[in-house]
Amino acid sequence: MIQRLIVNASYALQTSKHYQANKHFFYNLLENDKYRYKKYVDILMMTLIFISVTVLIREVKSPINDYLLFFSTYIISFIFFIEYILRLWISSSVSEIIVKCAEHDSFLGKNVSLGKAFLTISRVKIGYMLSVQAIIDLLAILPFFHELRLLRIFILFRVFKLFRYAKSFQMLAGVLATKKFEFITLALFSSIVIFVSCVLIYVMEANNEASPINTLFDALYWSIVTISTVGYGDVTPATDAGRFVAMIVIIAGIAVLAFTTSLVVSALTDRLDEIREIKTIENLSKLKEFYLVCGYENVAKELCIKLASSSHNIIVLDEDISRVNNAKKDGLTALHYSPGKILSYENLGIDIKKQVKAVLCLREDDVENVYTALTVRSFDKDVFILSLLMNDSNRKKLEFAGINHLVYPQELVAMITKEFIGKPVAFEVVHAMRSANGNVKIDELTVTTRVRENFKTIGELGNSAYRVIILGIYQNDTDKFLFNPDKDTAIEVGDYIIAIGYQVFIGEFERHLHTKVSDA
Amino acid sequence: MHKTTALIFGYNKYGLEIVQNIKEKYERTRLYSQDESSVSDEINEVEYFDLSDDWSSIEKTVKISDSIAFCVLEDDAQNVFLTISLRAYFKDLLIVAIASNQENANKLTMAGANKVIPIVETAADIIASILELPISSKVLQSILFEENDLKIAQIKISERTTLKDKELLDIDWSMYKGIIVLSIMDKDMKSEFIYSSKVKHHVLKCGDVLVVIGYEKDIEYFKELIGSDRV
Repeated sequence: MIQRLIVNASYALQTSKHYQANKHFFYNLLENDKYRYKKYVDILMMTLIFISVTVLIREVKSPINDYLLFFSTYIISFIFFIEYILRLWISSSVSEIIVKCAEHDSFLGKNVSLGKAFLTISRVKIGYMLSVQAIIDLLAILPFFHELRLLRIFILFRVFKLFRYAKSFQMLAGVLATKKFEFITLALFSSIVIFVSCVLIYVMEANNEASPINTLFDALYWSIVTISTVGYGDVTPATDAGRFVAMIVIIAGIAVLAFTTSLVVSALTDRLDEIREIKTIENLSKLKEFYLVCGYENVAKELCIKLASSSHNIIVLDEDISRVNNAKKDGLTALHYSPGKILSYENLGIDIKKQVKAVLCLREDDVENVYTALTVRSFDKDVFILSLLMNDSNRKKLEFAGINHLVYPQELVAMITKEFIGKPVAFEVVHAMRSANGNVKIDELTVTTRVRENFKTIGELGNSAYRVIILGIYQNDTDKFLFNPDKDTAIEVGDYIIAIGYQVFIGEFERHLHTKVSDA
Repeated sequence: MHKTTALIFGYNKYGLEIVQNIKEKYERTRLYSQDESSVSDEINEVEYFDLSDDWSSIEKTVKISDSIAFCVLEDDAQNVFLTISLRAYFKDLLIVAIASNQENANKLTMAGANKVIPIVETAADIIASILELPISSKVLQSILFEENDLKIAQIKISERTTLKDKELLDIDWSMYKGIIVLSIMDKDMKSEFIYSSKVKHHVLKCGDVLVVIGYEKDIEYFKELIGSDRV
């Protein structure tokens, strides 16, 4: 009966959207680094840790306000307790284990027995509770029993909790872990030197009345102080033999120190690029919108400079490390990932639909651009893809790969040449409007609800006062461009006004469109 | 002055693309290659040239004052050498050149090219405008490359133009329906935006050029109305 109730309850929890959503929410809040609000929880926890440590230090010699002490002892401990329980909850799913076990038994035609399920649950949950981080979490709650003075020292364990919240600590631990073998060798070497020197100095000095080393503990203390090159000088050998041992230990100490330093430095150097890349990928997931530049060659370099000057976010992907380094030298965020592989996008956590404004295939190689375009199209049908076309005979292939816009430099040059020789002045005028260096600009002003509230027709806009020419209006509803619309043409929300004028005046005109109070 | 002959130096994808685009505008189009074997290309009637200073063979067959040269060699250094070589020999030849980037474009200008197109920067400019201003970019492209009826034209002020001797500030452009006057250029200045304070008090005189945008029939009507010529 109870067994059936447990199985039914487990099924109910597994299928409950509300329960799963809550669990997912707490998972995101506590464990998902990419979740927007996790950092606030981390900051809160770190603040609580610093408060409790500050209270502990202050308490040594000064009386503490009762409320503060209560807050540090009970409230913070309670918050940490809640956190511990939540982490234990989200570490694994009890209901899932029970459901799986029940389904397994019923599939085999056996009576459902929850014994095995409870065993698995115990194993999983205890496994979590015995993990280093969970133990630290638990010890951080112990100061709750404030009356037991010894337990108050466990407040210091709260400091270890910082490892959980500060990503850089975890990275440092990860970096040092890569040199695990070297550190073990070093520890072994140091232990042997300490052990041998400890025994030797004890044998040489213990029977000498003038020597401060009387016990094995004194010898061990002296060995560690000497090998670490700290050398307090409170315990020193008195015999020549003891001093000889001291010389050996000092030399060994220098070697140990040098080895340790070089290990840490080499571990950091080896993984510095990796750490930077991890940080970049983390930042990448926080970007709301960016251009994804696939391939960093001449046109890409020039384009990135232009886009970056307009404060656009740009992410460069290239499979060639030298090109990636060039992009980094140019101050761009560049990653050594192949833009032609789905795995790259998965590993980077790029959400093409939500984050990518446009994919720019800018390798000066049609084969590579087709490959990248097909990769992107395989998981997103809608994103705007622009590509360079290097050979006109490949045009159809690139179009077939789903590229929305092709830029063929040879054709551009030919058309510009044609236009230049035909109408040089007109060409210069239009070119200046498109160029980043010209004063006179063409711009697209969106008709927002506010603009529409202020102005109903083109004639009401008053552009002449701002020395702005309205080239036309792009009507969003009909997808049509109306050149030089007459004064009575109505404007609608979502339309674009194509304006030409000095940049500063266009800016003023745009402000006027938004700020003018309607007479109506 | 209208040129009748186009001399294209560079038998490559740029040269061939330019030939395709301009051959209707010139009475004669001559394509030159540094590679003697390409002379066998009968479709494009390729002629051989080298980078020596001897341009007499070309001078004999072509009237240089009526010609325009396109220096489109893919190697920037050779293109600079070709340009400087042509300029040293033909002082008045109109030279249009391509450069892989702005740095080489500056060298070509110094070498005497009248107009240089830096390929990388131009492509990047076009892509940037497609991304940042997709609608206006499309509109400008269609106007510039005459992809639809909307055209950009240069109207020259002549003796019989009604606007002659009028100050720009006094002209109500809105009365000329269907056209937009973008800028003006006279002999002494660069092209200036029509609303620029520099030209506010400019008095239109013979030889000034107005850059206008409009539909073909409206431009023709405007031309007739003011009694001017299209350049």
